[in-house]
Amino acid sequence: MSAVESARPARARKRRKRDFWSIGGWIFLALLLIFSLVPMVWMFLTSIKTQFAAIEYPPQWLPKHPTLDSYRRLLSPSNDFGRDFLRWLGNSVWVSTATTILGVIIAVPAAYAFSRFRFPGRNGLFYSVLVRNMFPAVVFLMPLFVVMRTLDLVNTHWSLILTYLTFGLPLSIWLLKGFYDNIPIELEYAARIDGASRFQAFLRIIMPLSAPGIIATAIYSFIVAWNEYLYAYTFINSRELLTSPVGLRTFFTEFVTNWPGLMAAAFIMSVPVVVLFLVLQKYFVKALTEGAVKS
Amino acid sequence: MVNHRGDYLYILPALVVMMVVIAYPIYFTIRLSFFDHGRALQFDDLEWVGLDNYRLLLTGAYSREFWNVTQNTLVWTVFSTAGAFFLGLGAALVVQREFIGRGIVRGILLIPWVISAVAAAYIWRWLYHSDYGLISGILTDLGLIDRNIIFLDDVDLVMPALIVANIWKEFPFAMIMLLAGLQTVPEGLNRAAMVDGASTWHRFWHVTAPHLKSVTLITVLLLTVQNLNSFTTVFIMTAGGPANASQIWVTDIYRIAFNRTNFDVASAYSVILFGVMAVLGYFYVRALTRGDSTRSTV
Amino acid sequence: MAQVTLDRVEKRYGDVIAVNQVSLTIEDGEFVALVGPSGCGKTTTLNLIAGLLELTDGDIYIGDTLINDLDPKDRDIAMVFQNYALYPNKTVYKNLAFPLQMRKVKKQDIDARVRETARLLSIEQLLERRPRELSGGQQQRVALGRALVRNPRVFLMDEPLSNLDAKLRVQMRAELKRFHQDINATIIYVTHDQLEAVTMADKMAVMSGGYLQQYDAPDVVYNHPVNTFVAGFVGSPAMNLLRARAAREQDVTRLSSGDGWSVPLNDALASRVATSSTDEIVVGLRHNAIRLVDGAATGAVPATVYTVEPTGDITFVHARLGDAMIVFSVGPASTLAADDQIFLQFDQEHMHLFDGATEQALAR
Ligand SMILES: Nc1ncnc2c1ncn2[C@@H]1O[C@H](COP(=O)(O)OP(=O)(O)OP(=O)(O)O)[C@@H](O)[C@H]1O
Ligand SMILES: [Mg+2]
Repeated sequence: MSAVESARPARARKRRKRDFWSIGGWIFLALLLIFSLVPMVWMFLTSIKTQFAAIEYPPQWLPKHPTLDSYRRLLSPSNDFGRDFLRWLGNSVWVSTATTILGVIIAVPAAYAFSRFRFPGRNGLFYSVLVRNMFPAVVFLMPLFVVMRTLDLVNTHWSLILTYLTFGLPLSIWLLKGFYDNIPIELEYAARIDGASRFQAFLRIIMPLSAPGIIATAIYSFIVAWNEYLYAYTFINSRELLTSPVGLRTFFTEFVTNWPGLMAAAFIMSVPVVVLFLVLQKYFVKALTEGAVKS
Repeated sequence: MVNHRGDYLYILPALVVMMVVIAYPIYFTIRLSFFDHGRALQFDDLEWVGLDNYRLLLTGAYSREFWNVTQNTLVWTVFSTAGAFFLGLGAALVVQREFIGRGIVRGILLIPWVISAVAAAYIWRWLYHSDYGLISGILTDLGLIDRNIIFLDDVDLVMPALIVANIWKEFPFAMIMLLAGLQTVPEGLNRAAMVDGASTWHRFWHVTAPHLKSVTLITVLLLTVQNLNSFTTVFIMTAGGPANASQIWVTDIYRIAFNRTNFDVASAYSVILFGVMAVLGYFYVRALTRGDSTRSTV
Repeated sequence: MAQVTLDRVEKRYGDVIAVNQVSLTIEDGEFVALVGPSGCGKTTTLNLIAGLLELTDGDIYIGDTLINDLDPKDRDIAMVFQNYALYPNKTVYKNLAFPLQMRKVKKQDIDARVRETARLLSIEQLLERRPRELSGGQQQRVALGRALVRNPRVFLMDEPLSNLDAKLRVQMRAELKRFHQDINATIIYVTHDQLEAVTMADKMAVMSGGYLQQYDAPDVVYNHPVNTFVAGFVGSPAMNLLRARAAREQDVTRLSSGDGWSVPLNDALASRVATSSTDEIVVGLRHNAIRLVDGAATGAVPATVYTVEPTGDITFVHARLGDAMIVFSVGPASTLAADDQIFLQFDQEHMHLFDGATEQALAR
């Protein structure tokens, strides 16, 4: 799970003298870990409290009677609460997965073309793709709503998938182009001489080589789609079509004081992306270093 | 003659998606900002009003609010960006050292960035809770305060409180970018400096920092853009309140468009935002294309 | 039959003409070296033959078949790339098997072919390694193996030895030559090292600036370069090329440099000079066509030793002749030292003459 595997073991060991910066660094790291962890730990501790324990004053640091009730309620299809929540999770899974897969299908050939071909307008197109995320989501909300209405997609998951695609595409295209730039064209040539068609050469030789980049961009697209709130909130109005971030808000407005339930829901919806990211983060950092930073 | 028609096929899907989702909305917004559309979600019967919407915003009925919100936006963006950047830089430098469990520590530090902004916003809302919040609870236990602090309902405290939550969510991004940047610092240089007896601080300033210049530029630009655009944290935690004390551009645009259904004014507002973004975008592309520059993106 | 014919082949990139009206025929079983300085269009020519680039103009045939529009995979060629282009994520075994897999060869046949090829190139013990775990020489063998594993009609090799160290290069050169003799394959071999070309090829094609300059057997190219470019490019050290002006007085043609030397020409050379379009002539002399003489000899020209390079059995002397710098060779026993004043005589039997304006050799 280690992130950037750098080759600098020598420094830490050689440097015997514990100077100010070294000690200060450890203290800083400790504080940073507390800062990062406390909110998440508190989320979890709250989620295993009873509703009454959560709103005791002064707060119980550790729950006296830990309970998984909130989780049970959220994940059991036998009550309304759980049915909704599971459906929203399912919606999120579908929307994020579709976005991710389509994103890869669209980004890979585009990145490949930007890297390999020299067609007129290439640079202009490339940078116009890149600046997409400079525009705030809010300002596109209303026009996109109109577009979706024209396409008859309002209140469907496809409106979200189409929109989310554009969040991931710039990073995906950029990172993957970096990968393809670093793959010698001769490998493709060799494959074609060895009997592969253009497409086979791409599929059997180039694709596997850019796998870390594809995985990295896929994670990114998935996480962005999974977490998106604003468009999901605006485009979807049937309760059964909501994605989990919007569902979370719905819970909150309906059960204002049920903090354990809310924290449990937040916890559950964070688990997939956190696990996904931690398992695959080495690809992410590798892609960032290989495809992007090194140039 | 080389035929490029086939080449475009590869980028066509990407282009179509981008056109539908980006180009048309931009056109739509710019156009609408010069019209009066009435109050309905119908846009076929528009009346040309020239710069009226802009006037309304900058000098007219909305102006007091606009300038107030602009001030908030500046505070929000500058402090969030600076905070996330420096915390991320510190984090990158400390987790770059070799130690047991480094991978786990890095993983933990990255979690806030990965989780959903909605979840994060609720977590922080709960931490700041005026009755049962952890933060007030701890401060009381330590004897630092005798009454709970009302973070999110206090016009003076709400902005700093939001910024802290935002930094919590964003510093890992700066960390991961800078970590990638640190990989490009040649180890030989660092060794040489150590042999020359340079102190840690000197080594950082004279060896490491120059190599981080371009990645810093891009990270700061991206953080700035992210913060200018960040909607969810503010919307969920305070929705701009109390009394607009935490209203920023994007939440304000949302409010004007969807709560007051003034789409035309909101469009003018958006166009102004486009302008700001275009300037940042220009620097961004320039940073990306500079000869030795670090490449990365949104 | 694997005869390869290029007919007025041309490749343009916008305004850049990488390959310009190149025509040549490579006979079945011939080893042809394509040589020329960097950027002259060698790789482009090879890629055109392979079908990796589209022709701008002209035709390419293998045997009697026009292959202009044939896909690389259908041309039945094999290619060894300058950077080897081994598939980095495949083992050596899989690298060798790939061309056969793509051609739907049966599995046990693939295995047999791969192992046989590996034995031929002595890389059997490397089969399970990945390319990055191999030395340059081993990678080169694998690249060669990937070309050999099926029996293509034509081999294209793009500077396959250029990444190797000198010793390995000499060894591989011998192996390649032997390999060519054994399987009697048609090979087109790109190199910018003319020594490689001279030592291995049946014929060499010298290119410059996208043009084919000369196409002939190495000894013909070496002994009768058609123009100053070929003369200067083929042979090491490079041929000395001296500009001079021809003048005829009292039935004797003299070449004079105008900066310190002048030699009378024999009749054979004089008649060739007469065919020049101008009286400006470029004289070409290889290092062994310049002799050290004493001042009294006929046609002796004065020179000053600049530096002396003993290489063992032969010593190269760089000397200043007028404003020009020339190189000639002497025996290892020579006692010449820098700044010595010496006299040199041009060997008129081995003197090359070129038209000063067109730079073409003057016909004999
Ligand atoms: N894709 C391209 N676009 C534009 N010009 C090109 C392209 N590929 C090659 N050229 C130009 O065509 C000419 C010939 O290139 P080529 O690669 O064939 O040279 P080469 O003889 O193989 O050189 P080297 O010995 O350096 O490998 C060069 O001037 C090169 O700049
Ligand atoms: Mg070449």
